[in-house]
Amino acid sequence: MTTSVEPAGGQPFLAARGITKRFPGVLALDRVDLEVDAGRVHAVLGQNGAGKTTLMNVLFGLVQPDEGAVYLRGRRVSIRSPHDALALGIGMVHQTRRLVAAHTVLENLLLGHPQARGLLNPRRARREVEALCARYGIALDLGARVWQLSEGEKQWVEILKALYLGARILILDEPTSVLTPPEVERLLAGLRTLVREQGVTVLLVTHKLPIVMALSDTVTVLRAGRVVARLPTREATEERLVAHMIGRDIAPPHLTEAAGGERPALLRVEELAAYNDKGVLALRGVSFALRAGEILGIAGVTGNGQEELVQVLAGLRPPAGGRVLLDGAEATWWPPLERWRRGIGYIPAERVEVASIAPFTLVENTALTFHFDPAFTPRALLDYPGLERLTREILTTYAVRAPHPHVPAQHLSGGNLQKLILGRVLARRPRVLLAHLPTQGLDVEAAAFVRGRLLDARAAGAGVLLVSEDLDEILSLSDRVAPIYEGRLVAVLPRAEAHPEMVGAMMAGWRREAAARS
Amino acid sequence: MRVGPYLLTVEPRRTSSPLHGVLTAVVAIVVALVLSSVLFLPAEGGPLHAYRVVFAYAFADRYGFLATVHRAIYLLLCTFAFLVPFRAGLWNIGLPSQVYAGGLAAFAVPALLGGPDLTTPPVAPGLLVLVMAVAGVVGGAVLAAVAGLLRARLNVNEILVTMMLNSIFFWLVAYMIKEGGPFMSATGEGEGFSLPSFLYAPLWAGVPVTALLAVGAAVLLDGLFARTALGYRIRAFGLNPQAARYGGIDPLTLPILVFVVGGAFGGLAGYHYFAAVPGVYKIPGNYGYYGDLAFYGIICALIARGSGVGAVPVALLFAGLSLGARLAQGQLHLPFGVDYALLGLLMMTFVASHVLYQYQPVWRPAAEPAAPPVSADAAEG
Amino acid sequence: MLELLARSLEASTIFLFAALGELVDQRAGVLNVGLEGLMLSGGTLAFIAAQLTRDYLLGFLAALAVGALLGAAHGFFAITLRGDQVVSGMGLWILSFGLTTYIGNPYTGPLGLERIGTWLGLSPFVYLAVLLVGTTWFLLFRTGVGLAIRSAGEHPGAAEVSGINVGAVRYLCVTFGGMLAGLAGAVYSLSYNPVWNYNFLMGWGFVSLALVFFSMWNPWLLLAGATLFAAMWQLSLSPELVLPGILSRYIWRALPFAITIVILALISAPWFRTRWGLAKPEALGRPYGG
Repeated sequence: MTTSVEPAGGQPFLAARGITKRFPGVLALDRVDLEVDAGRVHAVLGQNGAGKTTLMNVLFGLVQPDEGAVYLRGRRVSIRSPHDALALGIGMVHQTRRLVAAHTVLENLLLGHPQARGLLNPRRARREVEALCARYGIALDLGARVWQLSEGEKQWVEILKALYLGARILILDEPTSVLTPPEVERLLAGLRTLVREQGVTVLLVTHKLPIVMALSDTVTVLRAGRVVARLPTREATEERLVAHMIGRDIAPPHLTEAAGGERPALLRVEELAAYNDKGVLALRGVSFALRAGEILGIAGVTGNGQEELVQVLAGLRPPAGGRVLLDGAEATWWPPLERWRRGIGYIPAERVEVASIAPFTLVENTALTFHFDPAFTPRALLDYPGLERLTREILTTYAVRAPHPHVPAQHLSGGNLQKLILGRVLARRPRVLLAHLPTQGLDVEAAAFVRGRLLDARAAGAGVLLVSEDLDEILSLSDRVAPIYEGRLVAVLPRAEAHPEMVGAMMAGWRREAAARS
Repeated sequence: MRVGPYLLTVEPRRTSSPLHGVLTAVVAIVVALVLSSVLFLPAEGGPLHAYRVVFAYAFADRYGFLATVHRAIYLLLCTFAFLVPFRAGLWNIGLPSQVYAGGLAAFAVPALLGGPDLTTPPVAPGLLVLVMAVAGVVGGAVLAAVAGLLRARLNVNEILVTMMLNSIFFWLVAYMIKEGGPFMSATGEGEGFSLPSFLYAPLWAGVPVTALLAVGAAVLLDGLFARTALGYRIRAFGLNPQAARYGGIDPLTLPILVFVVGGAFGGLAGYHYFAAVPGVYKIPGNYGYYGDLAFYGIICALIARGSGVGAVPVALLFAGLSLGARLAQGQLHLPFGVDYALLGLLMMTFVASHVLYQYQPVWRPAAEPAAPPVSADAAEG
Repeated sequence: MLELLARSLEASTIFLFAALGELVDQRAGVLNVGLEGLMLSGGTLAFIAAQLTRDYLLGFLAALAVGALLGAAHGFFAITLRGDQVVSGMGLWILSFGLTTYIGNPYTGPLGLERIGTWLGLSPFVYLAVLLVGTTWFLLFRTGVGLAIRSAGEHPGAAEVSGINVGAVRYLCVTFGGMLAGLAGAVYSLSYNPVWNYNFLMGWGFVSLALVFFSMWNPWLLLAGATLFAAMWQLSLSPELVLPGILSRYIWRALPFAITIVILALISAPWFRTRWGLAKPEALGRPYGG
């Protein structure tokens, strides 16, 4: 199953041997070996939770391994902090942005730079950075505030920052997860240039096979903290890699035929607009109808107004204009409590910050959407025994792995917590289900489970609004697809007309009518 | 830290039992007492003798114990005043201002009826006593509601608001009872007028009826948080306001509600001390001392970890300590402020014990040093 | 009238030192609500030290030392233990309140030393205050250290991956803030009103905390705010200069605190809130690490 790849010159450029890392209750990395050649793109592939990010954090000094060592050019090195990593020429661009949004691009680039010791000299720094930009072919407005940039631009700032700090080895952790398809193309092209023309070494961490196939020279596959394969990409196929990643086959859920005929519209949204937290109009007039028994997929990359849309529909953000109608009733200004009572269920994207209360037990977390339910509040008391019964039911039905219903929610893994949240929301039998990034960060099994339950809700007659960045997920689950870009819906397409390339382009702003006119 | 073949580190505690909470509370108090023996060093007879004096007066002496009970009721009410908003994640440090407001509101009743010149009750005295108590409660509640409202509607930091209110009401009381203010006593000695005897709160074995209210509240509060839907909502909001909002809990009414309840307790505490404790029955010139005493309520609530019933023994203990310390201070010629120092030490040891509560020492077999480099294939399987 | 101005300027330095320290502290992301406690401790220890040694310098040094110590303690709880910063701050306040009442009691009364002289009619601390404001502004906005501090308060994750030791930066700031708070207390007890009485600050520390919020974390705005507030306070002490005979003097003493509440409410009103929210260090009060 393995092939040894002869490193140029006999020694791998960067190597990690026997890396082991334990966190309380879990073995994150188990004697992992990694060998990276200079001037190449090395992909580290695995599911969520396989240990990829932990391994990279070890290389970047954010995490100290319990066992094992790292070698650079054959010599053993000690990386105790990002400072050490940067000194060795190892830079990292994380999955979530590590930039100070309120500062300018230049200030972010200067942060931590040896140039910035003592007095700041913005003019000299600007000259140096502009030279760097020219050399690497990157175009950026250095005076812009980071919060004004698009996700793709922010990522380039981080890449540039690593290069400016002298990195020759660039670790990219899930770089494409927040990019539109055209931005992904730009990233891949840019990386190819960096590698081929500048000799930068790239370590690419991802769970997305197409990226691995398109960009990398070598791929190491991690599963449950162990290395299960290492091979040159040209010898790999997607099927083989999937088999390594998962260890067995998972049948994807498939859409049954949509019920024929006109179904009643449950939720009608008219010209809905809303401001985001920074006071910018993020949602600019969105209109659609959600029908019973269908899944409407809102496809878009984070930051195009979907978050604000879901929050307005859930009653957690005031609209700046427009209307929401549920069964014809004016629902625009209903508080969250009213929405729960009328059958709108909401699964937020932030399962730990918003959807659950970490120190509360699982029973108490179930109560979060039942404390107002007359069935569970006899005479102002809360029916804890009844809630416990319900929780046990949810734990079984949704295969949530937990020792008993009275453990604090913070003990659950992400996947299990999401299943609990899903179960709790579905236990209310909502007629409208708002699912915002429901499978984010979940491993393949849990994600498939969640998707299956969404299909079940659809079959039971609920209208599901699915907001996701995962185009495959949208396309496989939705009856209708509505790409969103800069706060507006680009189109609302029936599944049959939603071709992946077109939807991807729409997510990046391409409009059919505009193209047809030109 | 390596100890032989094992590694000793500190990790966040994953589970904790109520017994554990009690244990850390006891440890905190004991350590504070031990530390405060330093305060008693200059005492005649040494610290041990000083402690004996303190405890003997507070708990063994008939009059001392009665005074302890009176003070314990006061502290208990102050504890609840802090505790209810605290469980909602809000800091009500305006206890002194609520006490003052309660006292002022209660004394407004006799003041309106003639003040120092009131000699016969115009209506049934029992009714008047009740009205006084209710006025005290309402006074504290309304004042605290201001802080709650500002926090709920405008997200103004409640610590700042309540602290400002402390200062404002401190001076307001001074205005009322000194230099010709409306509540000044007939003798004009910079203190409030005394209550006529028919307005004294009913006593039972020397203890005012407010004791019943305090102990009853202790039980009710615990029941509230453990069994009711409202208690659940308060707890949820206190732990994660965003999630609470997601779950339909109203972020506007909840802060106001908990502050109203907290303020009500604070106002009742004010009524209790100034109008129900035998031997006082007025707003004294040194009212500031009682305002400062109210801060003990904060520590009491923290050490009792938010439990109403748990706060009862703690309040008794603190009341006895502060009273006994005051006495010892006089008898044994200690400097002023022993009870204040004790307050400070208790807070410090509480915070330290809180750390103990959150972390635990962990033993782990030490890792083997890494094997020497091998240039072999990395893959397996 | 001139006397009033000079006194109010001196009072403003007390607010300013405490608030400036807290500003730096908060810019790095650490919230210290126990400011009043640090000031009390600094002021009390300075008073005792100065009276015992009859040396002002030692008094001020004692204040700086105890302020630094308490600041570092707060840092330990907030940064290393990642505890609730409000609990720690409140703890420091009550601890200081209690202990200083006891420790300072034997020294109740006037300091008994010759008053600190004035330069050009103003207390030397006024000049120090302006100097400190300017230095702080320069440090925060024109040096690499300042950039690191501001980034630690906005997005500690970004600072960390840039190679900055966020913990060290925060410790530095919280200790510096503590020192300034101690200094503020010492200025009160040794210069502004050299008579010791327990709880002599009567809420000034909390007002300083409010001033930091008012200033939107800008040192110059802080200077303006501290000056205005001190003027208002000084006026409340001698209202007969402006509005003779109206209202009891006790009501005047309560007025500055009432005005503070009003200002707090105003800056939290929706039309002001967004601007204020943007100025606020994003990570303020949130423990970092793990």
